[in-house]
Amino acid sequence: MKFLEDIILRLGAVDRRVIFVLIGLAVLIPLLTPISLPVRETPTTVKFYDGIEDIPKNSKVLVSFDYGPSTRPEIHPMNVGVLRHMLRNGHQIYISCLWPDGIYMALDALEEITDEVNPDNVSTFDIKEYEDYILLGYRPGAEAVIKGLASDLRKVYTVDANGNFIDDIEMMDGIKNLNDFAYIYSGSAGYPGTFEWVKYGGDPTGVPMSSGTTSVQVNEVIPYVQTGQLIGLLAGMPGAAEYEKLINVPGIAIQGMAAQSFAHIVIVIFIVFGNLAFFLKQRRDRKY
Amino acid sequence: MLLKRYIPIAIVAFFGALTLSAWFIDNETIETFANDDATQFFDIIAAFAVFLGALNLLKLQFIKVLKQQSGWIYSAIAIASFFFAFIIGFFIRGAYFVGEDVYFSQKAAEAAILSSGSSEVVVPVDWGAHVQTDGSLFQWMFKYIFSPLSATMFALLAFFVASASFRAFRARNFEASLLLVAGIIIMLGRVPVGSLISSWTIMYILAFSIGIGINIYLKNRNMVFGWILGSCGLITGFGMTMGWPIDQPAIFFLPALQEWIYLVPNLAGSRAILIGIGLGIVATSLRYIFGLEKSYLGE
Amino acid sequence: MSFSAILGAWIAAFLTLGIFSYLYRDNPFYKIAEHVFVGVSAAYVAAISFWTQIYPNLFGRLFPKDGPLAFTGLEFDFNHEFNILYLFPMLLGIMMLISVFQQFNWMARWGIAYTVAIAAGLKAFGYLNSNVLNQVKASSVDIFSGSLPFFSLGGDSVFNNIVLVVGTLSALMYFYFSKEQTGNFGRFTRLGIYFLMISFGASFGFAVMGRISLLVGRFNDLIEYSSADYNYATLGVLVFIIVTLGFWSFQNPERKEN
Repeated sequence: MKFLEDIILRLGAVDRRVIFVLIGLAVLIPLLTPISLPVRETPTTVKFYDGIEDIPKNSKVLVSFDYGPSTRPEIHPMNVGVLRHMLRNGHQIYISCLWPDGIYMALDALEEITDEVNPDNVSTFDIKEYEDYILLGYRPGAEAVIKGLASDLRKVYTVDANGNFIDDIEMMDGIKNLNDFAYIYSGSAGYPGTFEWVKYGGDPTGVPMSSGTTSVQVNEVIPYVQTGQLIGLLAGMPGAAEYEKLINVPGIAIQGMAAQSFAHIVIVIFIVFGNLAFFLKQRRDRKY
Repeated sequence: MLLKRYIPIAIVAFFGALTLSAWFIDNETIETFANDDATQFFDIIAAFAVFLGALNLLKLQFIKVLKQQSGWIYSAIAIASFFFAFIIGFFIRGAYFVGEDVYFSQKAAEAAILSSGSSEVVVPVDWGAHVQTDGSLFQWMFKYIFSPLSATMFALLAFFVASASFRAFRARNFEASLLLVAGIIIMLGRVPVGSLISSWTIMYILAFSIGIGINIYLKNRNMVFGWILGSCGLITGFGMTMGWPIDQPAIFFLPALQEWIYLVPNLAGSRAILIGIGLGIVATSLRYIFGLEKSYLGE
Repeated sequence: MSFSAILGAWIAAFLTLGIFSYLYRDNPFYKIAEHVFVGVSAAYVAAISFWTQIYPNLFGRLFPKDGPLAFTGLEFDFNHEFNILYLFPMLLGIMMLISVFQQFNWMARWGIAYTVAIAAGLKAFGYLNSNVLNQVKASSVDIFSGSLPFFSLGGDSVFNNIVLVVGTLSALMYFYFSKEQTGNFGRFTRLGIYFLMISFGASFGFAVMGRISLLVGRFNDLIEYSSADYNYATLGVLVFIIVTLGFWSFQNPERKEN
């Protein structure tokens, strides 16, 4: 028993680089040897999916890319899924960005969708810019941008991301402000993002909205889901994996779930083991 | 004093009051100015602030290089990287269209036309659009330099979180234990592996944990044995009767338990924090508008 | 794969593994990658801010096509009309840039004051409406309804609603420091602490989830760059960094703290 205690205490004082190696392997090995784990949808994700299904067909929707490369693994699969879902239902998509990197995330997402082919090698989505989607682009200013969009979109965006005048684009006819959209979605990694869209976009205009957020933000955003200010929520990479399952297009989020799961198990083992070592040490110190 | 103190305070008071009152006053001029122009001013000044930040950064790095302070070589690298990206962003279009193909330079585009023998012309991208165009040099810099650096800086935290979980996360008291247990349930319940852990496993773990608790606090061996035997027997009996369904009883099934914790007690705590933050922000904003808070002046 | 893509992959792999090398110890590769990040990100954000905001929305409004200031030779056609009010943000912006010099430090205060003003005016209402009023409204839940079950793990129930109300009130009461938290009040606020601890525990769980997700993303990219398409960039850079770091560590042994 004392021998076991000694081993636990010694392991409890191990160099942190050993922990780094273990967590690195816990993530790397499942990525190299793909393991499929069943994904179980949570109520907030189902609510999100149903919220998009409830949008009247062929509506105009605003999708905001409010994240960058630092949070891409969590938000990007969600946004790609949302674009797919929206396009499948015949909606016209208006893409805005509150983060400077958002524009490249949007370009990548559109490329991913247009590159996709079905088993007959035919492009799944034959989408055209200015018919199916328009890339409005990035504007700095956070909540001030959203406030401007809620009032007069054309004051904020005079040209789109390609430099074309908004007034000359047919797809922009009849769009004055946020009230002219049927739905607002924000893939958000922090500030500016979900909170700002709720406060200055969704709440003042009453336009139905929802969001996909990073796991770190989920706990702060959940009160908005319960109040109905957000219709459902995609919570981090697990949320993205659940959504991929619902729209029936498994992607990078589902693939990453095995690595996520194993890493979580390893961290739980670390917590339990660390506390065990701590209590044993306390007991020994009290004895002596 | 007038320029350095009173005018900034007056700016905050005037524009703060104007923006706040625009939510409530039904006057088109005020609403249009507050919602459109005032916010545009904010966006423009925010853009200038970015340049100020860049200039300050350059100033500090240059001072380090000129004075040859410790680590000045790295400051030189920072300066060189800045000018590399600055030149690409401001002086090089980096996107020349030949049909739908994009080339970094006019020369490369013309060479492509010559080699393909097509009659296409080179169309340079507009200034402004060159930072948002797919396939541009600016996007290449974003994809292969900025993006990996930004992403990796954040990904590094995963290792430190794991290390902190092992070395620092201690259940020293009831509150910390509550935090720990809630965290573990969320971590396991939210990922696919949580649905592979049977609720009966959780019940056995719980039974043993309570047994350990009885041993620590009551120090009664008979009670511990009695509890362990009794609880395990009961769990086994129920399990055999019910056929060991993986997700029943639901209260011990991690995904279901996690969902309840997430949507009920956790929501209560989060809501309280959100309301508290909201009230604090309202109070602080009013303090700024009324000139009671002058921290932006460095006071 | 094009030459620019392969070169980009090698650069990306070097920078990524350079940052990760910090896990071993602070070293020149990490410092190089860190300083490149600092330099590139400053210029990147400056370029984006200028071309998407200052260029179309400021210059486009002060120097529109055929505008009164067209005589300066500057004309920016963004479908705007001349608006003299935009001289104000231009003045404030220029003052901000001049403030980089020590003796003109105070000039930044005007621009900062304006941004503080707008932020305060926007946030005061936004937070009051969305964070306070809507959340308080949602806290008035159904407790006495006959249609709700007493307890439900997944959906609405009377028990869940009671827990929500009690939890929200007790946690809010904890933040009331104008009264000493003793007696029954102290017991109630202690309950609030427990709810807050559960919330923080959930936040911790989600934070771990988020960080691991980001690591999954990085490893996915490194695995992609280790393929033959990118000339085994990850592997090449990894070997180079390990060998160089090994040699460097030998020359600079780690000092053990007493």
